[in-house]
Amino acid sequence: MSNGPFKARVTLRLAAGVALAVTLLSLVGMGVQYRLVEARLLAGAQQVLRADLDGFAALYEQRRIIALRQAIAYRAASGAEMLLLMDRNGTVLAGTETAWPKGLATSGDSFAIEGATRFSARGSVWLGVARVLPGGFPLLVARSLDQVEATLAALRRGIVGLTLALLAAGAGVGILAARGVMGRIGRINALADRVAAGELEARLPGARSHDEFGLLESHVHAMLDRIQNLNRATHRLSDTIAHELRTPLNRMLQKLAQIEGQEPVTDALRSEMRQAIRVFDSLLDISRAEADQGSGGGLVPVDLSAVAAEVWELYEPLAEDKGLHAQAQIEPGLLVLGDRNLIAQMLSNLLDNATKYCAAGDGLTLTLARAGDSHLMRIADTGPGLPADLREAAFERFVRAERDRGITGHGLGLALVRAIAARHGARLTRPVAEKGFVLEILWPKVAGAG
Amino acid sequence: MDRILIIEDDAETAAAVAQIVTGLGCEAVVVGTLPHGIAASAGQFRVIVLDRMLPGGDGVDAMARIRAGGSAALILVLSALGRAANRVEGLEKGADDYLPKPFEPAELQARLRALLRRGSMQVLDNDLLAFGELEIRLKARTVHVKHSHVAVSPKEFELITYFARNAGQVVTRMQLLENVWNLHFDPQTNVVDVHVGRLRRKLEQAGSQAIQTARGEGYVFAPLSGAM
Repeated sequence: MSNGPFKARVTLRLAAGVALAVTLLSLVGMGVQYRLVEARLLAGAQQVLRADLDGFAALYEQRRIIALRQAIAYRAASGAEMLLLMDRNGTVLAGTETAWPKGLATSGDSFAIEGATRFSARGSVWLGVARVLPGGFPLLVARSLDQVEATLAALRRGIVGLTLALLAAGAGVGILAARGVMGRIGRINALADRVAAGELEARLPGARSHDEFGLLESHVHAMLDRIQNLNRATHRLSDTIAHELRTPLNRMLQKLAQIEGQEPVTDALRSEMRQAIRVFDSLLDISRAEADQGSGGGLVPVDLSAVAAEVWELYEPLAEDKGLHAQAQIEPGLLVLGDRNLIAQMLSNLLDNATKYCAAGDGLTLTLARAGDSHLMRIADTGPGLPADLREAAFERFVRAERDRGITGHGLGLALVRAIAARHGARLTRPVAEKGFVLEILWPKVAGAG
Repeated sequence: MDRILIIEDDAETAAAVAQIVTGLGCEAVVVGTLPHGIAASAGQFRVIVLDRMLPGGDGVDAMARIRAGGSAALILVLSALGRAANRVEGLEKGADDYLPKPFEPAELQARLRALLRRGSMQVLDNDLLAFGELEIRLKARTVHVKHSHVAVSPKEFELITYFARNAGQVVTRMQLLENVWNLHFDPQTNVVDVHVGRLRRKLEQAGSQAIQTARGEGYVFAPLSGAM
């Protein structure tokens, strides 16, 4: 699993949320400021326009159109304003324009600022007053709003730029935070993976930091210590059981040796004791193999083919003596990571079962061959097979078929087979067979070897 | 007189072992803790019988210290830690033999005898093991009885050479399984018997009664006695 920052969805969502909130708040703030600036600038423009109008009104008071015409003609040269005075026939008396701006309506006949309108002409925006003075003289006094517009446009560009910068910063911080979080969590995930794979003693190196991740790591470590202690206790318990049971059994056996003249009884007792030891050895082997399951510890490269051949060779004469048709096909040189003795024990259990349950004339085959990424071991006989009422339960401890009561055994053989397979990461399957017991074991290959 | 050191904390077991040792004509020295055992091992002993779960530690871990102390004794670990994995561990750490408790007196006897023999065995400078009319050639891996060739399988050859090296002594099934097959667990059936039986029949057909059953204990390779 990759630990890219984009896996940290929660952190990214949080960072995105924070970035958006900050951006929105900034936008509201900047919007309010924009409105304020806009209002101030417009008020300033109106002030100027009013001063103009007041001036023209004073002139009109004194000498009417004549003075107005002279003043407008004088000012028209300066440029930043739009002035126009016409007569009732539409002839331009004075002004900066040659014609009345299209679509601009007139209203009233006073020089008051009230009713000033915005309009576009000559590619600019203007704030102006359009009147018809008594006697039918249209008058236009307007000031350019270009300065105002330019300032507001600059302000808008600033707002957009700042918003983009805020969003980019938010994304950047989010990714950085996510990368940091994923890095820290990745360490813990990697640790969990190692432990799940059986490496119970794995821990994170270095000191714990004083933050939430350090706290999480401490808790994970405490949990792992507990698991490891339990596992150790299992191991210690099996040693203790062995010691506490075998020592008294040993004394009994020594005393048995002193009994003379009752050989059948002492032989039977010895054999019972051996059977009892076999049972608890198998139980301890099973629980140990289960406790060590998945851990690579103690496993070394083993020539599976050689072990299979050796155990087969050990049992072949027994099978032949029983009248079985025994055949083995073992591809040489197949390696697995394993424990030679456990593998031998497992095969021995399986071959032992086969020779025990099959009758003369039955077939028994052992095959071992490459199968893609694994080695396929198949053991098949044409004996009675597992009874239908048993099936998978046959691999549980102490499960024996009602049918087999007459045959010696303690019902741990297949349980040990399963535990040993699990210890090696091998997969057991029971393909459907017409007759007999068939078991397939898929062994993982040794990495980097045939 | 050969001396055998017994490092064992269970008094009854120690007494039983000492009795077997005396029965073999050796002198038994018993100590009850690991530190004492390590100290005592500096003396001249042919074999050390070593327990594992001892006051003072695990005998198997102490083997290196015993060797470092200059002891040339062969070590037989006699322990309640008797599962296959424990045995393999003990042998890998340098034990010469490993017998799990509870043990049959005869089994311990056979193993001690084998160790005592191993300690005194002459190095064979030729490849011929000859017992009267039975001859084993190690390099050619052939067996002859009365000058006629007896065809044996590779495993049967290993079996007969192991017997031959312990000629005259009881060899147990467990010893055969460990030394000839290198397997350290107790199979449920006596598979070893079948192999010995086959080898035995081949030899008998050629006219040799070399392999005999020692009732309840194992087998004895005695090529020069009886019918021969």
